[in-house]
Parts: sequence; C-alpha cells; structure tokens
Amino acid sequence: MLVYESVVVMNVISTDVLVIGSGAAGLSAAVYAANVGRQVLILDKGALGRSGSSVGAVQIAGLGDFSHPEDEPNIYLNDILDSGRGLSDPSLAKILSNEIDKRLGEIMDWGLKLDQSKDQNVLLSHTSGHRLPRSLSAKKGKTGLGILHTLRKKATKNNRITTWSDVITVELVKDGNRVIGAAVIDLTTNTPYVIQSKSTILATGGAAQLFPVTSNPVQSTGDGFALGLQAGATLIDMEQIQFYPVSVAKPASIAGLCISFYHYSKLYNANGDRFMTKYAPDTLEDATRDVLSIAIATELKEGRGPLTLDATDVIDQVKQEFPHEYQLCADQGVDLAKEPITIAPASHFMMGGVLINEYAQSDVKGLYVAGETSGGLHGGNRLGNNALSECLVFGARAGIHASYETFTKTPKYDLAKLDKFLQTKSGQHRPFEIKMLIQEVMNQFVGIIRTESGLQEALNRMNAIGQKLQNIHLSDTSTYSREVLDFIEATHMYKTADAVVHSAFQRRESRGAHYIEEYPKLQNAIMHNLFYRRQGQNELRQKEVHPNDTTSEN
Amino acid sequence: MTLQVKIDRGVTTSQYEIDWQDDMTVLNVLENIYRYHDPSIAFRFSCRTGLCTTCMMMINGKPDLSCQKKAEPSDDGFLTLSPLPKGRTIRDLIKAY
Repeated sequence: MLVYESVVVMNVISTDVLVIGSGAAGLSAAVYAANVGRQVLILDKGALGRSGSSVGAVQIAGLGDFSHPEDEPNIYLNDILDSGRGLSDPSLAKILSNEIDKRLGEIMDWGLKLDQSKDQNVLLSHTSGHRLPRSLSAKKGKTGLGILHTLRKKATKNNRITTWSDVITVELVKDGNRVIGAAVIDLTTNTPYVIQSKSTILATGGAAQLFPVTSNPVQSTGDGFALGLQAGATLIDMEQIQFYPVSVAKPASIAGLCISFYHYSKLYNANGDRFMTKYAPDTLEDATRDVLSIAIATELKEGRGPLTLDATDVIDQVKQEFPHEYQLCADQGVDLAKEPITIAPASHFMMGGVLINEYAQSDVKGLYVAGETSGGLHGGNRLGNNALSECLVFGARAGIHASYETFTKTPKYDLAKLDKFLQTKSGQHRPFEIKMLIQEVMNQFVGIIRTESGLQEALNRMNAIGQKLQNIHLSDTSTYSREVLDFIEATHMYKTADAVVHSAFQRRESRGAHYIEEYPKLQNAIMHNLFYRRQGQNELRQKEVHPNDTTSEN
Repeated sequence: MTLQVKIDRGVTTSQYEIDWQDDMTVLNVLENIYRYHDPSIAFRFSCRTGLCTTCMMMINGKPDLSCQKKAEPSDDGFLTLSPLPKGRTIRDLIKAY
C-alpha cells in the first residue's frame, strides 16, 4: 500500500515531479529534482532500484582528476561523435563529455567508491572505440550495482522523494499539448491511479526484450518509447539497436550474458579461423560493437558457427577485471581458464529513443526523458560504458530542468479505461504469446543483418500481431498477476517494435547498427528518422543532418 | 524426464509435474509452470545473471537465487519452493520491496 504524504483523493495522487523508472537515470533525476526542493514520486514496475538494465552495467566511462594525462572533454567528445556514424547529436555529446566529471564527483561524494589499481590510483581500463583508457569500475565490475546502491540510499533518505515499487504506467495523461501526469496500475493490489504532476520524466530504459536473446532484464519492454509516442513525442532513429556482439550462447541458463573482455580475447569460427582478421585486420576483436556484431552475424549466417571465445591466454586479467563474469560461467559449468565458451550476439541497447534537447526535454511540454529511453546522443553506435555516463549526466539534467515546471492541473482521466487490463478475457492469445510473436518477427527480420524484403515481411507480420493483441486470453486477474503485467508490457512492446520496423524500413543505407543487405554502403546525405503520432496515426519523416552538425567544432 | 515441483503459496500448496531438462534453472522451471501449467503462479525476477537478487526464494529449504540455482529434486523427490521467510509476501513467491 502506498504511503504518501501528498493528497490522495479518489485515486488521484499529486506530486511536483513524477519519475517513471528507477535505474541509474531515474534515480539520478529524482535525487537532483529533490535537491532543487521539489516533491518527487518515483515509480518502478518491479522492485525499485533493482529492476533496470543499470543493474548489469559493468563499467562507466568518465573523466576526472584520475584521468589519463592526455584525456580531456574534447577528445572524449570526438570519440562519441566518431562512433555515432553521423547520427550523434553533438550538443548532447558535448554535454556528456563536459559534465561527466562533475556528476561522477558528486556520486563519489555520496559514497560511490571507484576500484583502484595496485598502486592505489583509480583503475582506468581500455574499451573499444575510446582512444584513451577511461573506463572506470566499482564493486569489481559491478559498477551499475554500485551506482544504484549509492543512489537508492540517497533517494530513500530524502524525505522529498517517495518511492513506489510494482506500479506500471499504462498511459501519460495530457491537457491539450502538455503532459500533466500518468495513469498507472499498482500491481500489488490491481488498483488504478491517476498521478498529477507538474513534470514527468521517462526513464524506463530500453527495449531489448523485443528480441529472444538479450543481455537485458525482463523489464526492458520499451515502455518509455510507447508512452512517449502515445503522448505525441518524437522518436528518433529507432532502427539503431545495438547488439552486444559477444554474449554467452551456451549454457542456456546464462544466455545473453555480456562478455566484457572480448576486446582482448580471441574469437574463432567452427573452422578454427580467427575470423576478425578478415573483417577488421587492424583492430581484430577490439572493434566497435557495430562492426563486430555484423562480422559475427555474417559468420553465423554463412554457416561457420558455432563461434567461440578463447580467453585462456588472458585469464589472469579476466579474473582481476571481471570476476563476476568469470565466476558466473564457472558456476554454470564453463571454466574460462581451461576452455572456450560458445558465443553469439544478444540485443543490448537502444541508441534511438525519445528525441530530447539539451535540457532532457522532449518536444511535448512537461515531458522529460533520460537515459536509454532518450535518443540522439549515441547515434548509430554507443561506445562501451557510455550508458551509465549518460544516465548520470542526463538524469541530473532531467531532474534539474523538470523542476522548473510550475503548471499543474487535475487530470480528467477516466480510470475505467484501465479496466480492460484487469478483467478476464476469453480471446485466443495469451499475453506472453504475443510477446514471443513480436520477438520472433524482430529476430527473424529486424536483427543485425536486415533485408528490404524481410523488413516488408516484418511490417506485414506486425499488423497481424496488432490484431492478435485485440484478441487476448487472460484468465488470471488476481493481485500481482503476471498475465496482467504481460498484457500491458506486450502493448508497450508492440508500439515500440512497430516504430523500430518502420524506421528500419525507411533507412535505405547501412549506417551504424543498421545493416541492410541491398544497401551495404553509406548514403552521402545523413538523415535522421523521426517517428511520431498525430491525430491517431503514426507518421515518419526524415530530416537531414547538416554536415556541420556532426563535428565538435559546431 | 519429468520433475515434481511443490510450491508453497501461503494458504495452499500447489504441485506440478513438468518436462525437465537437467540444465534448467529454478527460474526456467517457474517460467515453464507459468506458460504451460498455471498462469496464476506469481514470482519475481529481473536480471537473470545473479546480480539484482529479486528472484531470491527458499529452494528445497535454503535461500538461493532462482535464476542461478539448478532445478533438482531434494531427497523427498520434489523441488520445493517457498517465499523467503523475512518481510511481507505479496503473493506466492513475491516479497514486497
């Protein structure tokens, strides 16, 4: 039961700032908004601060007193822009590279301890695509957990912040063209509520559950993209989905687990060839994730799988830097000190997302977005360990700027609209089956290697899935019903997948993570895909990136 | 192969017989029960990699992570699952956070 200090009238709860999602971005937003003096309500559809993809994040890229002597914001900025393949928004990238040292300093003041090397200095490690070593670690490669622990403690100690676990957002609520709150369901009691807020921050993470094999938690069902779209916000470059190139394929119990030390291990195909000598002779396995994913997917597609990773030569470094991964594999029967492990790509990160400006503000009034749910920073390829950096920097920006909003209005929202998710239904398809159908389509046609005909087929199949979603079988409506949760999530997944497929179909070139066989090269003109909803219809338009927009000089 | 599973659901105990491969984790077993035997079973999980700890429950009498623990029967022939004894249980195996 929610214990809340503000007014609760007829299931309407009022707050200044509503934060949806409690990973590193959401918790940061909440803490910074509360520091400005605002009342904050932070929701999570699972256990607060324990259910996002931040949990599994291994390291964080950053700058500070500890940096490599040659490192500085402009060098970091250029790495991000190079990696973004022309689609990174330089104004967002500049903010990240300029503000990460400040945000890291603050979270360290709040208790985060960075891992140290033997000489008592902060341990800096190299990650593919960063030209200088700037990856930092906490809790020995469990950096996301360390950050969440620090932020959770900070948030729960602050009496301006109310936390609420196990409550899922179904819709954002608007007045004219402004978001004024959200319609949610408390899964522990099946009670619908309307939340009235002066500003709302989406921080629900990504959508990697659109694919059957993923590094992400089960909660990554694209809720924020669907909510943003429904509220009228623009989604940018949704076709840009990062696959973590080297993830565990077997044993099945840890399938999808990222192998963070691939860049200094060796990859082999079934013929025993170290295949990266063919795809990236200069960098070999130390290639950016888009290049490596396409190479691995090509090997598998052309029948040279299964692929393996051999870390036996570097096992001491692995044990020192990534003890959790080493131990997990050992516990599941693979001792990396003695044997290779079978690997394959796993869906990992959405580079696209809700379009934001420098203030983490969407193009709908009152709606802010932070972390993976936002789009534009990483463009066509996110550099390793930039996800947590984005969460800290843009979580803070979202929290601070959302605090300036003062307009408030009691939502006129008919909560009976949510009853459809809470009542038994005698249709044909269980909600989890809809999720699996979406995963099958995405896996078959919208994975690493795409074709135009495949994407056309995906569009057709998505239409069919949309109809099945209107014909649901739902038998369990008790409290904390997995069927209810799956039904709402399937609805969010469907809207998100639809945006991805349309955006992929529109990009007739291969750029960043989007590789399409018929158009293997870059087009000269760099275009953003903008996907949005107007008068009940989804629309997509392309917007050219001005050449000067993609350089750090601008 | 089949596996006999007993789940303590507070007022009742439910029993299931599921198809069993020996590389299944306890979480795989629960997912199988939800999909093919009993849509009303309630359990919590997130990361599947032993980090978030939200899938913790009593497995054959001992607290463990259901995403990492191999599904095996104990001496009585059953895999027995129950919620952690500490804290409030929302339903079945789910603890309040």
